[in-house]
Amino acid sequence: MQEVVIAGYQRSPFTFAEKGALAKVRPDDMAAAVVRRLLESTGVKGDEVDDVILGCAFPEAEQGLNVGRLVGFLAQLPNTVPGATVNRFCGSSMQAIHMAAGAIRMNAGEVFVCGGVESMTRVPMPGFNPLPNPGLYASFPQAYMGMGETAENLARSYQIPRAAQEEFALSSHAKAAAAHQAGRLKDEIVPIDDRGSAIEADGCIRFDTNREALAALPPAFDRDGTVTAGTSAPLTDGAAAVLVCSEAYTRRRNLAPLARIKSIAVIGCAPEIMGIGPVLASRRALERAGLQIGDIDVIELNEAFAAQVLACARGLRIDLERLNSDGGALALGHPLGASGARITGKAAALLKRTGGRYALATMCIGGGQGIATVLEAVQ
Amino acid sequence: MIDIRKVAVIGAGVMGRGIAAHVANAGVPVLLLDIVPAGATNRSTLAESALAALRSSQPAAFMHPKNARLLTPGNIEDHLAWLAEVDWIIEAVVEDVTAKHAIYSRLQEFRRPGSILSSNTSTIPLHQLTQNLPPEFAKDFLITHFFNPPRYMRLLEIVAGAQTRPEAVTAISSFSDLRLGKGVVPCRDKPGFIANRIGGFWLQCAMTEAIACGLDVEEADAALGPSVGIPKTGVFGLLDLVGLDLVAHVGRSLVANLPPDDAFQKVREVPPLVARMIESGHIGRKGEGGFYRRVEQAGQTVIESIDLRSGDYRPRHRPPKDGGPKLGLRQFLEQPERAHRYAWVVLSETLRYAADVVFDIADHLVAVDEAMRLGYNWRQGPFEMIDALGTGWFAGRLRAEGRPVPALLEKAGDRHLYRVTEGRLQGLSAAGDYVDQPRLAGGLRLADLRQSSKPVIANRSASLWDIGDGIACLEFHTKMNTFDAGTLALIGQSIAVVGQRFKGLVIGNDGENFSLGVNLGFALFAANVAHWAGVEELLKQGQALFQRLKYAPFPVVGAPAGMALGGGCEILLHCDAVQAHAESYIGLVEMGVGLVPSWGGCKELLLRWLAHPLRPHGPMPAISKTFETIGKAKVSKSAAEARDLLFLGPTDGITMNRDRVLADAKAKALELARDYKPPAPPTASLPGPSGRVALLLALSDLAKKGQASPHDVVIADKLATILTGRSTDITESVAEEELLVLEREAALDLLRQSATLARMEHMLDTGKPLRN
Repeated sequence: MQEVVIAGYQRSPFTFAEKGALAKVRPDDMAAAVVRRLLESTGVKGDEVDDVILGCAFPEAEQGLNVGRLVGFLAQLPNTVPGATVNRFCGSSMQAIHMAAGAIRMNAGEVFVCGGVESMTRVPMPGFNPLPNPGLYASFPQAYMGMGETAENLARSYQIPRAAQEEFALSSHAKAAAAHQAGRLKDEIVPIDDRGSAIEADGCIRFDTNREALAALPPAFDRDGTVTAGTSAPLTDGAAAVLVCSEAYTRRRNLAPLARIKSIAVIGCAPEIMGIGPVLASRRALERAGLQIGDIDVIELNEAFAAQVLACARGLRIDLERLNSDGGALALGHPLGASGARITGKAAALLKRTGGRYALATMCIGGGQGIATVLEAVQ
Repeated sequence: MIDIRKVAVIGAGVMGRGIAAHVANAGVPVLLLDIVPAGATNRSTLAESALAALRSSQPAAFMHPKNARLLTPGNIEDHLAWLAEVDWIIEAVVEDVTAKHAIYSRLQEFRRPGSILSSNTSTIPLHQLTQNLPPEFAKDFLITHFFNPPRYMRLLEIVAGAQTRPEAVTAISSFSDLRLGKGVVPCRDKPGFIANRIGGFWLQCAMTEAIACGLDVEEADAALGPSVGIPKTGVFGLLDLVGLDLVAHVGRSLVANLPPDDAFQKVREVPPLVARMIESGHIGRKGEGGFYRRVEQAGQTVIESIDLRSGDYRPRHRPPKDGGPKLGLRQFLEQPERAHRYAWVVLSETLRYAADVVFDIADHLVAVDEAMRLGYNWRQGPFEMIDALGTGWFAGRLRAEGRPVPALLEKAGDRHLYRVTEGRLQGLSAAGDYVDQPRLAGGLRLADLRQSSKPVIANRSASLWDIGDGIACLEFHTKMNTFDAGTLALIGQSIAVVGQRFKGLVIGNDGENFSLGVNLGFALFAANVAHWAGVEELLKQGQALFQRLKYAPFPVVGAPAGMALGGGCEILLHCDAVQAHAESYIGLVEMGVGLVPSWGGCKELLLRWLAHPLRPHGPMPAISKTFETIGKAKVSKSAAEARDLLFLGPTDGITMNRDRVLADAKAKALELARDYKPPAPPTASLPGPSGRVALLLALSDLAKKGQASPHDVVIADKLATILTGRSTDITESVAEEELLVLEREAALDLLRQSATLARMEHMLDTGKPLRN
């Protein structure tokens, strides 16, 4: 059976929706630039790619049709390279990686470009034409519950005070700022062209935020709640992609893999506490890998909300010190369809950088799901 | 005619920046230049910060945020070369002749030959400004005196010098009238021109007299407020608004420049209390407070007023009831109480002064009246007031009190100061003969028509006028122009009459506001007595009338100015076209009184969004936009903003000059009347229950955030049901009549709810919406 590795990771800068530098960039153009750079940086030739699988949470308008296929054209891949779009909301691009891993394992190809994109400026949540099912809304309204409310639910049931959420958000910004200043994000970021000028840097990190500033923000979702804009991932524009291929291919091409995919899992949970999804998904993935949480050296847990991360950290008994060492989505941003590829690529890169043995990348998903990937260092 | 394509304003202070913003409102590029402050690293910092202040000013200086892009900030050291492209340079620097002369010599060096220069001075005579300047400067130079804030105050006083070339005066007058929307009043080169000469006298007299009579500021402001046709700021409120320092400055300049026998010299003393207030920075709203101030007490804002005797602040109190405007001007001034006596003394002195100086400061009576109406927002100018009082009565009372009677009044005898002859307004001349008064060429005011003709049909609430060339004008004239049974009846009759006898219909009036919609008291009464059949009939009648307007065989042009809210907005939405005054505040505000628009407002706005070419496709975007606009009761802060909200369509027009709105609307009606065909009834494809749930989801998020109250949610759910077509399906089409039924059902249901009635009562009692 083929071993599956991650052999490259690139992303666009992540910038605020509406007011950020990528607001005027089409999402398909953004994704194509990232895919092109991924192939250049790994030396993979276009005709070697077996499929392009692209995640997107609101695949309509400029990121609609089959954006996975269109990005292949934009990235000037040969016509013979197919493309697909997948939607598992925030888990979309991690799902793309899982699909490639499964295909490689069953000898259905060796080289996959797996990524995701979201312009939350140009296709705002919840899309242009939300039309929920009135029957389901009547019988099971939590199916459509807003994400902020689910974070409030976790903050309440796990009794996570506002100050703790803010402390965590502050640390996320501090880690991201440090990584940025030390130039540790530079290699993964692909400059994006906006009408002739290059956008090169992340735009969501708040270098000067502090406890007082965070404490001054009003609740964002519930007048009596604890979750604020400062403890929620911002609406973000961005794209990310990883190269998923067989270990045999990397040996043939003399390509240095970042990490091997050890196990994967996806699982459902109650939609009203969707933020707890990573606990269930990570347990299942760890079990499949035959590992305990204590065996894991690198953890990337997507920061949709501080309250949700803290609930998961408690559920999984993770030491916060080990989490998201270059900062997480609270500071970097969370372009829904792109985040899964970012945290998986990031976990693989960190494993290599730190010399650790195992890494876990996991995230929560709107509608009540969790998804997780366990990575192993390639000796 | 000299074309004004680009303007520069020198001096980025409050007036300079406000004028520049308003030039941008006219769609004309404008430079705003100021000095380079000593040691500044950013050399254009003054003009740039002025632009920043304009962007956030309240009330807004720009009619649309995008107008700010037409304003380029700079400085007078590096950027005077830009003046080579400028057709009109407005100087608005400090009121100091030496400083102005220094600027003028620099402008003379850089300006394009033949460009026009004007000063916004309020106190310096033109002959002093042009002293020692070359003739080619003087022939291009005039005074253009704007009032603050320039966007909102309609008066523009223009003073031309003996050397000023007439083409320059014509060009600036015409641009200011048509593009800036100003009421241009030509003045002579006399101290304070017209408005501040009369207004300055009035303020000074009112202030000293109040102190002398021992009146409180509240009493004085009530006596010289709306009861006599003066804004409710009265005397002391206005002094606070303008700034005591500025008023004192204007006063000093009048004292210095007026002859010693001018009546102003007798009232010129600045009371010691006022001098102390200026010294301590209590100069009004822009300082530490003035005659009134706001203070925070236990987390609440309390308004205090100054005790004119002790100079100490104390909580503001309500003055005793004085009968108010209902009494009529003459009866109000005849009352024996202290406040009425005070009003009589101040007003009679002011009217006397105006009559004494009128032909020194203006060519015609009407210029003084116009200046006081547009510059001080008086409902009537001094001579209109004298006519309202009766010339004979007024002179008689002066005589009885042993006070001199002005020569103008002696000449008038019992005759009115004004009369209308063959449709022309005439006023007395210095010689005591009636002479034609200059009127705005091409303007149209129903008030003028009323002097010389009778309406085609009329009742207590509305009138239909023949405004010439086959066009009729439907005028509302209830309080705030709200709709009552009479209004609706006359709309119906007008449709019939216009169909038979006219080519087109304009709906508009001279009022401060186009219409505030349905008379709430009328609707509330029906709901309180549970006269449901009557309420339903009222809903049906309004809907049917507006549909008849929409499908009438003649064009209907709405001509709003000021507020057009609720039903006032709905009638506009049913017009074929709208010609709006630039200051039109349009909105569907029914949420505020617990209702949804139900005279076709939901239907029409939805149809507009559905037909809008720029919206993203699919069933929801048009619905979401309409839901948001009505659900948040959005009101445009200008006609330009009303376009963004689709209350105005792309072919609807905007008129800057209030007095030209009806004339422009009439021209539009005539244009449409050629080959007019009524519109074809549209249908809509709506998503039904799925769409409603999408809106409810957004609504429930707002409710959790505390941005929608419990009754907001109830009303918005009704709105969602109407806009999504209730039980329809996206594959079907919905006719207008079905949407109207949904509107009616929603309104009837809401009117049965106590929370809606509470909102209506609260609005009637306080004028503010209740968030229950």
